[in-house]
Amino acid sequence: MNVRTAIQELSVSGLAVESAAGRVVSDISFTIGRGRPLTLLGESGSGKSLVAQAIMGSLPPELRATGKVRLDGNDLLAGSRGVQRRLWGREISLLPQEPWLALDPTMRVQGQVAEVHRYVKGRDARRSRQLAAGNLGEVDLPGAGRLYPFQMSGGMAQRVAIAIAHAAGSDLLIADEPTKGLDAALRDSVTARLRQEVENGRLLLTITHDVAVARALGGMVGVMLNGELIECGPAERQLSAPTHDYSRALLAADPESWSRQAPTTPGGVVLAGYGLAKAFGEASLFADLNVEIRAGEIVAVVGPSGCGKTTLGNILLGLVKSDSGSVERRNDLPALRYQKLYQDPPSVFAPHQPIRKGLADLARLHGRSWNVVERLVSRLRLQSSLLDRLPGQISGGELQRFALVRALLLEPVFLFADEATSRLDPVSQREVVAFLLEIVRETGLGVLLVTHDRHLAERISNRVIDFAQ
Amino acid sequence: MGNFLVARLAQAAIVTIVVGALSFVLIRILPGDAAMRIAAGRYGPDASITEAAAKVRLELGLDRPVAVQFLEWLGNLLRFDLGHSLVTAAPVVHELQVQLGASAWLAAAALTLSILIGPAIGVLSGLRPGGVADRLGLAGAAIFRAMPPFVLGLLLMLVFSKQLSWLPPAGFGSPREILLPALTLALGLAAMSSRVARNSVAAVVKAPYFAFARHKGLPEAVVVRRHGLRNAAIPVVSYLGLQAIYLVEGVVVVESLFAYPGIGHALVHAIIERDVPMVQGTALVMGLMFVAIAALVDAISLWLDPRLRRTA
Repeated sequence: MNVRTAIQELSVSGLAVESAAGRVVSDISFTIGRGRPLTLLGESGSGKSLVAQAIMGSLPPELRATGKVRLDGNDLLAGSRGVQRRLWGREISLLPQEPWLALDPTMRVQGQVAEVHRYVKGRDARRSRQLAAGNLGEVDLPGAGRLYPFQMSGGMAQRVAIAIAHAAGSDLLIADEPTKGLDAALRDSVTARLRQEVENGRLLLTITHDVAVARALGGMVGVMLNGELIECGPAERQLSAPTHDYSRALLAADPESWSRQAPTTPGGVVLAGYGLAKAFGEASLFADLNVEIRAGEIVAVVGPSGCGKTTLGNILLGLVKSDSGSVERRNDLPALRYQKLYQDPPSVFAPHQPIRKGLADLARLHGRSWNVVERLVSRLRLQSSLLDRLPGQISGGELQRFALVRALLLEPVFLFADEATSRLDPVSQREVVAFLLEIVRETGLGVLLVTHDRHLAERISNRVIDFAQ
Repeated sequence: MGNFLVARLAQAAIVTIVVGALSFVLIRILPGDAAMRIAAGRYGPDASITEAAAKVRLELGLDRPVAVQFLEWLGNLLRFDLGHSLVTAAPVVHELQVQLGASAWLAAAALTLSILIGPAIGVLSGLRPGGVADRLGLAGAAIFRAMPPFVLGLLLMLVFSKQLSWLPPAGFGSPREILLPALTLALGLAAMSSRVARNSVAAVVKAPYFAFARHKGLPEAVVVRRHGLRNAAIPVVSYLGLQAIYLVEGVVVVESLFAYPGIGHALVHAIIERDVPMVQGTALVMGLMFVAIAALVDAISLWLDPRLRRTA
């Protein structure tokens, strides 16, 4: 279809990213060829997204990339930023993280694909619309052009982003956390689609913290830590016999490789719902559902996005009303003893308030002493110096542990953990889960764990409620 | 889609009853004898004012219980009859047509001027937050917002009428006379709407979909036009609706200042003269205008933002 010859190779050598404070990424070298994609694994803050941005030319203005990034011998870093920008949508396409946020919420999807033909390729309006419909057909979304992004699932939105890359016809695809926030089924469909792009001859660089994605994509895998590429090699070898300690820890942190460690000896029922039902409009989420959570047990709820897992938890907490049935709390304990741990830690902390202030206010309001807070903080192995930072200045895993401190301060008998670890990288996820398990064993807390990760659910829960069936 | 219209119609009915009752009660509890004021309004204050007041009281039935008078007004309203002015005896509807027409022109002129100035400065400021345009925009907004309309109006009069003699300082009839009062209102409005537009644009520029539109390779002008403006317009439209309402209120002061014969002018005089049907009619029309503006804002927002149509 394209007249120009396809790009054969992306070669990166000695790539570094510098800020005013010093190097944040150093000495990255790798080569991506056709049929041999590269997946960069690493936790948040390891610098893997900066590598993608340096190649793309979309680094924030305070950061500067040095070294060589060659597309078939053409050094992208030799010119100004404007040079790199001219390649966007032509030679390089980005598959954004959280594509449902990356699509314009107020424009139909068709227009968002067609505008690449119209304004990047300079085709007329009618032809652009036809070609866009074709691009959507290629990703199995024929007829989805009339939809707005909010009417699509996360997986559909990611496929629209791929259709946009098809429209651009660019040879290099950079996928930045393409499966973040997707459940397992959607994740697998996105990785299968990426595999197909590789088979069609596109160069693919994927940034992820999900080992399963790296495994499914194959090709080469690189592991990043503290701004350095500590290992890079063929996927089979990297994912089965890594040499570096951190790589091993990263693999061990994947819930699939955990041992089963559900708590034992559950006590009396702390919270129960009988005959629960919920429907939104025509769509019924569940009906006649009975659930009991005992002290010291973890009950997991699994299923695909949008199936009503979170709604069930919210009904049990009394945040959402059930259409029928009843919810019973033990001895009618106050609602404060029933707590919730949210999915996205940064959005549940006041962004401009140091963590210490928020916790101190909470302790004062509920008459708890500050010593209790400090005990919990050290119990969850959080350094007390972190207390004086703003929520945006610490990692997601640390912030989620502070959220746990905040919930535990109220001495809950029940905790609803709503996808509480799904936005954390595997290592942080493992830490948070380990603390949760310890606390369940020690205090007899009853937990409802909502997750889309079946492996996680099976490894740590006493019972699994499966919404997929 | 039609839900919001039903809600707004119900609101209109409630506004009618509440505004009617309130203006009735408030006029009654104002100090001074209403009949005396009306007589003064009709015949001028002279020696026989007490006699004239007694006649007026009898003629207009002002001695009847308040509740009876209110129900009579409400009953007439159901037949779309707003009654007659107690002072000029002309139908209230006629007076309103003349005066509201003039006000509507002033309000529309002011709003148009402010939309030309405010959002345009806002977009320039918001595309580069912290840049030169943004800082100048902030300074200008602070100055014009901090200045009460009567000071700004007097300043404009001094500059454009007295010093430069370009425009008349007061009066009514031609576009030249509408310009100064409209500009007085527009500058205050634009001061605020430019900042609202600036914040909205700045938020859109930071949004992932704006970055992605760039990553798609679209030229910057296309990115702004296709993905920036519509998204940024959503909160600005709601705010302009609030401003339109503020404008109707502001008109009351500015019209009096510029001796502009509009509805605000009419309301102030009706209150002084205790012309109850005029007060009720004026307040009612203004109240219903608020409802109409809100309905218009609803409709434009629904058109701009498909997400709102989900639940409507």
